Amino acid sequence: MSTGPYSYSYIFKYIIIGDMGVGKSCLLHQFTEKKFMADCPHTIGVEFGTRIIEVSGQKIKLQIWDTAGQERFRAVTRSYYRGAAGALMVYDITRRSTYNHLNSWLTDTRSLTNPSTVIFLIGNKCDLDGQRDVTYEEAKQFADENGLKFVEASAKTGENVEEAFLETAKKIYQSIQDGRLDLNAAESGVQHKPSHGGGGASSDQQNNKDACSC
Amino acid sequence: MNSTRPQMVIILRYDIYLFFGGLFIYGANVSLICEDGGMDNGCRSQLLDSPDVTLQRENIAKGAAPIPARESVVRYQMSMKEDDYTYTQSLRVFVGTWNVNGQPPTVSLSDWLACDVEPPDIYGIGFQELDLSKEAFLFNDTPREEEWMFAVCNALHTAVEYKRLATIRLVGMMLSVFVQKQHAPHVRGIAVDTVGTGIMGKMGNKGGVGIRFEIYNTTMCFVNSHLAAHVEEYERRNQDYRDICSRMSFTKFRPPKSIVNHDQVYWLGDLNYRIVDVDPKKVKELIDIENFDPVLEYDQLIRQHNLNEVFMGYKEGKINFRPTYKYDTGTDNWDSSEKNRAPAWCDRVLWKGDSIKQLKYRSHPIMRISDHKPVSAVFESKVRVIDTVKYRKIHEEVMKKLDKMENEFLPQVMVDTTDVIFETLRFLEPQTKELIIANTGQVPVQFEFIKKLDDTTYCKEWLHIEPYLGSVRPGEKCDIRLEVYVDKRSASKLNSGQDKLYDILVLHLEGGKDIFITVTGSYERSCFGSSLETLANITVPVREIPIGKLMDMELENRKDGLENTVYPVPKEVWYLVDYLYRYGLKEANLFEQSGLHSELIQIRNWLDNGSQDALSSSVHSVAEALLLLLESTAEPVIPYNFHSVCTDCATNYQQCRQIIQQLPDLTRNVFLYLCLFLQELLSHSNDNGLDIKTIATLFGAIFIRDPPRSRDSQNSRTQQTLDRKKANFVYHFLVNDQSDLLAIT
Repeated sequence: MSTGPYSYSYIFKYIIIGDMGVGKSCLLHQFTEKKFMADCPHTIGVEFGTRIIEVSGQKIKLQIWDTAGQERFRAVTRSYYRGAAGALMVYDITRRSTYNHLNSWLTDTRSLTNPSTVIFLIGNKCDLDGQRDVTYEEAKQFADENGLKFVEASAKTGENVEEAFLETAKKIYQSIQDGRLDLNAAESGVQHKPSHGGGGASSDQQNNKDACSC
Repeated sequence: MNSTRPQMVIILRYDIYLFFGGLFIYGANVSLICEDGGMDNGCRSQLLDSPDVTLQRENIAKGAAPIPARESVVRYQMSMKEDDYTYTQSLRVFVGTWNVNGQPPTVSLSDWLACDVEPPDIYGIGFQELDLSKEAFLFNDTPREEEWMFAVCNALHTAVEYKRLATIRLVGMMLSVFVQKQHAPHVRGIAVDTVGTGIMGKMGNKGGVGIRFEIYNTTMCFVNSHLAAHVEEYERRNQDYRDICSRMSFTKFRPPKSIVNHDQVYWLGDLNYRIVDVDPKKVKELIDIENFDPVLEYDQLIRQHNLNEVFMGYKEGKINFRPTYKYDTGTDNWDSSEKNRAPAWCDRVLWKGDSIKQLKYRSHPIMRISDHKPVSAVFESKVRVIDTVKYRKIHEEVMKKLDKMENEFLPQVMVDTTDVIFETLRFLEPQTKELIIANTGQVPVQFEFIKKLDDTTYCKEWLHIEPYLGSVRPGEKCDIRLEVYVDKRSASKLNSGQDKLYDILVLHLEGGKDIFITVTGSYERSCFGSSLETLANITVPVREIPIGKLMDMELENRKDGLENTVYPVPKEVWYLVDYLYRYGLKEANLFEQSGLHSELIQIRNWLDNGSQDALSSSVHSVAEALLLLLESTAEPVIPYNFHSVCTDCATNYQQCRQIIQQLPDLTRNVFLYLCLFLQELLSHSNDNGLDIKTIATLFGAIFIRDPPRSRDSQNSRTQQTLDRKKANFVYHFLVNDQSDLLAIT
């Protein structure tokens, strides 16, 4: 049991992105609640979830923003990339179109986040191997070429879900240890020790509001 | 923004959180929580006693505030589930006490400390009157400590190895705790303290010393005390006990721990209670025949204990040994000095806590170097041992539940729709829709429509949201009014397709998720908001032109103003002016009195649909419609790029004329046409009472419209000067003959 006054030492902001229906919300739900959410409605907006994990003996609070995948919201969801320490980019292994769009998601991520943001590619629905439309090898190659971490996972069975979230956190934590990620940068997506006065993710929101007094 | 908003503090009643079988308190009263895992009975009961806990809810999601709360909840939960991840193990605890009357250890102590076959797991050994010298009393310094420690270490049971956890001494009171080496890795949180209750309530000739620690998952405290002497001073002894209880404090913990905050307490020492109200001779006789019971009735400690005056909650085993005081040193004979003190059970061992069974309670008469005999007690004490595998599993479960709950405690709302669709919207006709935000979560929700990345406002200019921020309590709802109103500001953008009746609103829940609300509607285009060029180029009413074509025309116009238009002035302008010319020349207050909204709609329909029927509106409504038509265009009559030259040379008529000559044909026509009409109007000022300056000012603002947004940034004085210059500009054209300019066309 930890003896310090805090339950965790860091807050990492994550975003989950990808086409509509690839299972972004189900991945979040599986990760935070350990349950599969059948008949999950389309996300109209940005869902928010949190969980405390442990990396190298450090407790880390993940603040996860699960974005709407619908194309018409694309312009709006771009607001949420800023200040993400981790981006989980999801496609559906049974629908090639969702894989084909990865380039555009990746472009958005690269242009809207900072260089130290860890991007993790998740091929979801690997429980539906019979309906597979994208091979593992192909996606792995795409991930390697773009320097992304990659797993195939299933929000339904829970396979690799934990791993994807934790691996991302490990990589972020590593970046902090190596000094590659500047904690003081406003948009690092990482906060060290919670302080009174608002979290990293919400500070962006606060800024937005400040200018908005019409 | 956040700092100026009052923080929401929510009182959560603990009965709301009866949670997964156990009592769950999302507690924030961290001062009650013990740092080491909160297993203490004291902590536990205090938590149970606190009915209300306060908690700054919205900071949970932000990760800001109730972190200590979460930590304490984890501890509390773990302590509630202790039985699920611990098992008990019996330890043999040996407790010894001896008042050595200042004597050095000249004999082996093994007859006292190692007289049993089975080696104890824990030793708690206390001495009193270790050193009676002034030196020890005043400076708390004595060579005897080392001598006696050496003697003790040499006399511990030899079957196993021991490790000394701690030794604490205050003047003559010394206490040492040893554990078998095999248990040493499982001991944590060792702390010591002393309490002097001697003269001034401070000096250490009387008082107590204590050692506390955790072994496995059980907390133990040993206290060695030497209470006030003298037969009649039993009240004083009670007081000393109470002082030790209240003043002994292991301050390395936060909050500090007292004796009471331990699972098991072993209290030993020369408690100094005597045998009273009975003839000492009789006592000695009874004791000689080992008939202790009648004598024990006169024991002060037993009496005081029964009266709950001292050692409340403690137990003492049955005494089956001779009084341990007072003997002639070196013998087993009662005190033969002049004082001839009565025998007494001064030296005692008591305990407190569950799962403790006393196996032995005895004195050791064979130890003869002091006027007291040593006493020892052996206990079989059950301690809780953590099953690490089970502990991890349960700890993870608790963490998971908390994560789950933290997510459940995020603000949650339902909106009745995320797609707000308006019917056909027309210029100047507002429409409203309601949106219901219902708080379906467990905490109050602070909501706000926030702007999107790179936007300056949270919604388009044709939309109005009321209220755009607010709070909703759990179970309650809030009606949001969305009003769409297309007016002169937004009409031209909608006409040209630069903007659409489409907006995605971001409804943000503070500390939680965002919901996107899509607002759509179709806009029925009107001549209001169309460019002068477009209107001058279409020969039919606006409504008869396909939308696509209208948009194309607007885009064309924007690229390069058309050289030749079908009409010299837009027919809509002509219709309105003509109407005023026919019916309004002599009307008082024309362009000063406002029109009726319903008539403006009527005029709009008449113009847009090209009705064959005659218009039957009041001239004031028609006048206002004319102004509105001129104000709703994307570009004003005198285009924005002429704005500053017009105001710069407003005093110079010739320069003003030159500017007008440079205007594109259509706008020049419209400008001159309207000026001629105004001149005509002013020529009837005897009837209509119009004032040229008023008209010049009014039309100055309309002809030379300020570029969008520039108006907000200017102070009223500059604006006034600007308005005056515009009036000046127009004035020239109202008082001078313009027929030569018209001839150019």
